[in-house]
Amino acid sequence: MSALEGVAAAFLLAGAGFYLAGTVGLLRFPDALSRLHALTKADNVGLLLVCVGLALVAGSPREAALLLLVWLMALLAATVSAHLIARRALADARDGASAVEGPP
Amino acid sequence: MNLVLDVALATALTVLAWRSLAGPDLFRGIVMYVVFGMVMAVAWARLGSADLAMAEAAIGAGVTGALVMVAYWRLRRIAPVEPADPSPRRSRLAATVAVLSAGVVAAIGLAAVQAIGPGGIAGRALVEALPATGLGNPITGVLVIFRNLDTVLEVAVLLAAYLAVRALLGDGGESLAQPPTQRGTLVAALVSVVAPMTVLVAVYLWRAGSQWPGGAFQAGAVLAACGVLLFLTGRLRPAVEAGPVVRAALVLGTAAFGVLGVAMLFVGQPLLAIPGSWAVYLIEAAMMVSIGVTLALLFAGAAGVGGGRR
Repeated sequence: MSALEGVAAAFLLAGAGFYLAGTVGLLRFPDALSRLHALTKADNVGLLLVCVGLALVAGSPREAALLLLVWLMALLAATVSAHLIARRALADARDGASAVEGPP
Repeated sequence: MNLVLDVALATALTVLAWRSLAGPDLFRGIVMYVVFGMVMAVAWARLGSADLAMAEAAIGAGVTGALVMVAYWRLRRIAPVEPADPSPRRSRLAATVAVLSAGVVAAIGLAAVQAIGPGGIAGRALVEALPATGLGNPITGVLVIFRNLDTVLEVAVLLAAYLAVRALLGDGGESLAQPPTQRGTLVAALVSVVAPMTVLVAVYLWRAGSQWPGGAFQAGAVLAACGVLLFLTGRLRPAVEAGPVVRAALVLGTAAFGVLGVAMLFVGQPLLAIPGSWAVYLIEAAMMVSIGVTLALLFAGAAGVGGGRR
């Protein structure tokens, strides 16, 4: 295993760590907003680390650029969907619904 | 390592299939079904079939998931209250059906194991016949040239589904449900970026389909996703009547395939013969437009589209 592959593996493992933490947070956190917080860390940082890890060992600069594009598109979609879910959660909380408080 | 991944995929698929069918909670079942589609796409990718992986992700998980979800919204509107006892009664036939299904699956698996050589006879014949067509993607070869009657009928089935929805809608604006629209500063910006990109991806899939993984069904599903996005954000509005452009788009796939296929009879070729790779591009483009428009209208539960707010 070359030094580059070692660095790539470290990036992939760090990314997997973020995904694991994000998933545990999604399952264990008490309300919608903090679950969203956990989820977006996995989406943004986790995916970035995985993409950087893969780009390091990609066969060509084109492949590396495509991986970066994948991350940018996912970032764009995740930002807006997190924003929408948060707005809905706040609106529900204002209306007295119990969406922000999770199941006991 | 690969074995671990395969066993994990197979286990996940079995559990997700079970969870999407079992249990009284419809919404949970739908979510499980969409996740099943995504894991299924990964399984196809693991088997080296990029075409099927894309089709499963775009049609199986994406568009079907959206269709089932919109059906769920409407069910909730008709009957907002959960039934008092949602657990279905167990049928006495359940055990028999389970044993028979397991037997059929085992028989198919046994037959597949005993099939001749890698690829079997049909697969080898296809690989031998493919260079003469000028296509590089065997899946497109089967869909558009070798088994194209099936493909014509598949596009016709989509048209029939649209007509059925149209008939159920009647001409009342009452049943024309407006999906909830989310208005936000970020949403408009996202749609402005994503909608042109989905069109670009669809055209790429169509263009790539003759040589590499891709094709009309995947491209059409991506176009449909663009339509769903525009309907959900209010850029397009469901309408009770289809305008001439929408009508043309709906029948384009069936018509292009049919007219070209029948025209071949007059030049002394068999019915549905494909005269060259230009015809494959033409037919696939027509199918892409029809599949995209039909699926998007099925999602909206509408006959046509009207302009929306900006």
